[in-house]
Amino acid sequence: MAVLECKHLTKQYGHVTALENLNFSIEPGHIVGLLGPNGSGKTTLIKLANGLLTPTSGELLVCGAAPGRETRAAVSYLPERTSIPLWMTTTQLLDFYQDFYADFRRDAAEEMLQHLNIRPKQRVKQMSKGTREKVQLIMVMSRAAKLYLLDEPIGGVDPATRDYILSTIIGNYDPEAAVVISTHLISDVEKVLDEVLFINQGRLVLQSSVDQIREEQGVSVDELFREVFKC
Amino acid sequence: MKWYFSDNAPIYAQLVQQIKVGIVTGGFPPGERLPSVRDLATEAGVNPNTMQRAFAELERDGLVYSQRTAGRFVTEDRAMIEQTKKGLAECHIRQFLESMDQLGFRREEVIALLRQESGKEELGNGGSGM
Amino acid sequence: MLRKLMKHEFRATGRVMLPLYLVLLVTALGANVSTRGLLESDNRMLDLLGMLLVMAFSFALMGVCLMSMVVMVQRFYKNLLQDEGYVMMTLPVSVHQHIWSKLIVSAVWFAATVVMVLLACMVMAFDAYAIQDLFRGFGQLFRDISQHLTAYYTINGTAFFAELLAVCFLGCCVVCLEFYAALAIGHGFPNHKMAWSVLWFFLLQFATQFLGGALIVLLDESWLHHLLMGWTDRIQFSGMGAVHLMMGMLIAGELVYGAVFYFLTTWSLKKRLNLE
Repeated sequence: MAVLECKHLTKQYGHVTALENLNFSIEPGHIVGLLGPNGSGKTTLIKLANGLLTPTSGELLVCGAAPGRETRAAVSYLPERTSIPLWMTTTQLLDFYQDFYADFRRDAAEEMLQHLNIRPKQRVKQMSKGTREKVQLIMVMSRAAKLYLLDEPIGGVDPATRDYILSTIIGNYDPEAAVVISTHLISDVEKVLDEVLFINQGRLVLQSSVDQIREEQGVSVDELFREVFKC
Repeated sequence: MKWYFSDNAPIYAQLVQQIKVGIVTGGFPPGERLPSVRDLATEAGVNPNTMQRAFAELERDGLVYSQRTAGRFVTEDRAMIEQTKKGLAECHIRQFLESMDQLGFRREEVIALLRQESGKEELGNGGSGM
Repeated sequence: MLRKLMKHEFRATGRVMLPLYLVLLVTALGANVSTRGLLESDNRMLDLLGMLLVMAFSFALMGVCLMSMVVMVQRFYKNLLQDEGYVMMTLPVSVHQHIWSKLIVSAVWFAATVVMVLLACMVMAFDAYAIQDLFRGFGQLFRDISQHLTAYYTINGTAFFAELLAVCFLGCCVVCLEFYAALAIGHGFPNHKMAWSVLWFFLLQFATQFLGGALIVLLDESWLHHLLMGWTDRIQFSGMGAVHLMMGMLIAGELVYGAVFYFLTTWSLKKRLNLE
C-alpha cells in the first residue's frame, strides 16, 4: 500500500492556487526528492500531509487514511524552520518525544547526540543554529515511522552539517518506510534519492527515478532541473 | 575508500565501476565479506536502493556472491578478478586512445609518446585509486 | 495523552511561575521586616529602604496576579501558534486535548496564585502577637460556627463565598479561553495575524458585553421574569435565595461563554490553522 497518495489534490489560499490537481503515490522503501523552485508548493504539500492544512478539494492519504491523529503517529515531520522548544534541555526533549511517540528509539537518539558531543543538560537555546537543526533531525530520524517528511533539511546549513544530515538519513533507512525530502539544492541530495517529483507552480511536472533520468537523458537530475525550470 | 561521482552516468553504474576497482586493487580482497548495503551506502552517501542495484549487477557478473545469512562476499575466483582488471584497463586505454584520436595523434606517435613519458617517470603505475 | 500533555505543560509553565512565587514570598518577607522596624527607625536611609521594600512587595503582588494570566495566554500563543506549533500540532493528540491541557494547567496556576497571594499577605503581616490574635480569632469563629451551625447566615454566607470563589475562578478560565479564541481566529488569517487577534479580542469582548446587557434588558418583564416571579411567590423566596439564584445564573452565564469560546478555539485550530 502506498505510504503517501494524492488524488486530484488541490489547495487554494483565497484566490491563490498553491496546488492544482496533484496525482501521485509514494511506495515504502523509497527516498523521494520533492523538487521545485521556491514557492512551487512543496511546503504546502508537506503541511497538507501533516494535517496542518486542509485540502480545498481532492484527497491526500497517508497509509490509506486522511491526515489526523492516527496518521500523525506514523509520520515523522521535520519542519522548514527549527521548531523544537528552545527552553528544553536535551533530556527533556528526549522525554517529550518518548512520551508522545511509541515508535521513538531513545537509545538511537542518545547515541547520535553523544556522537555530536551534545550534553544531556544543554538547553536548545544555548545551541548554534546548525546544532539545533541537527538535534531536531535526530529526534525526527530516531522514530521508526512509516513516512518521514523532511522540509528543506539542508537549507541554510554549512556543507559539513549537510553531509551529516544526509548520512543520518541514509543511516536510518528502513525498507518499510518512505522518506520525502523537499529541497531546491538538488546536486547535494541527488545521490541520496532514488526517485524525484518535480513540481512547478503547484503542478506535478515529472515523476521519475534518478538513474532513469541519467540513463535516458544522459544528464544529472540537477541539470535536468535547470533545463526544466529555466527562467 | 573515496567515492567520486560524475554527472552524466547512472549512479548505480558508477558504483559498480568503483567497487570493481576496489576488488581489483585489493580494497575488497578475494573471499572477503563485503560491508552491508546500508553501511556502504552511508559511506558513499548514496541511496541504499541504488547500492543494492549495484550489488545485484556485480552478483550477475559473478564478481560477488551472497550467502543467505552471512552476507555478501567477494569472489575467490582470482582468474575472474584478473580478467576484470584487464577489462578495466582496456576500458581506460580505449578512452585514452579516443582522446588521442581527437587530438590528431596517429597510433605510432602515441606509442612513441608513451615510451618517452614512462621513461621519464620512475613510477610503477599500478593504476590504483583512479 | 492528556496527562502527558499536562505534564509537559506544567514543566513549561512551572519554570516561570515558581520563581515568580519565590520573588513574591521574598518581597513579602522584606515588607514584613520593613513594617516591623525599618519604617519607624530614625535613620533616613533605613526609612527609605523600608519604603522601597513595601513598594517592591506591592509590585510583586500585582505582578504575580497579572503575570499568571499573561504567562498562560503567552504559552498558548507561543506553543501552538508560533514555531513550536509545528511540533505540537503534529503530535498524535486531538485539538481538544491540547486546549484542555492548557486550560486545566492554567486553572491550577490561577488557584495556586490565589493561595500564594494569601500566603504572601500572611508572611507580610506575620507578627508573633498578631498570629496569636489570629488563631484566637479563628478559634472564636469556629466556636461560633459550631454553635450556630444551623443558623441561616452561616450556611448561606459560606455558600455565598463558595459561589463567589467559583465565579472568580471560572471568570479567569473564561477570560483565558477568550484570549485563546481571539488568538486562534486571528492566526487563521494569512497576514497581520496579531492585529487580527487583537481585533477579534475586542470583538468578542464587545459581543459578550452586548449580549449580557441585551439579555438583561430582554428578560426584564419577559416570560422568564414572570416565571421566576411566579416561583418566588410560591416557594417563599428569601433575600439570600435571590443572591444564590443570581450567583447560579452568573456561573451558568460564564459556562455558556466558556463553551462558546472553546468551540471557536477548537474550530479555528482544526479548520483554519495556518502556521507561518
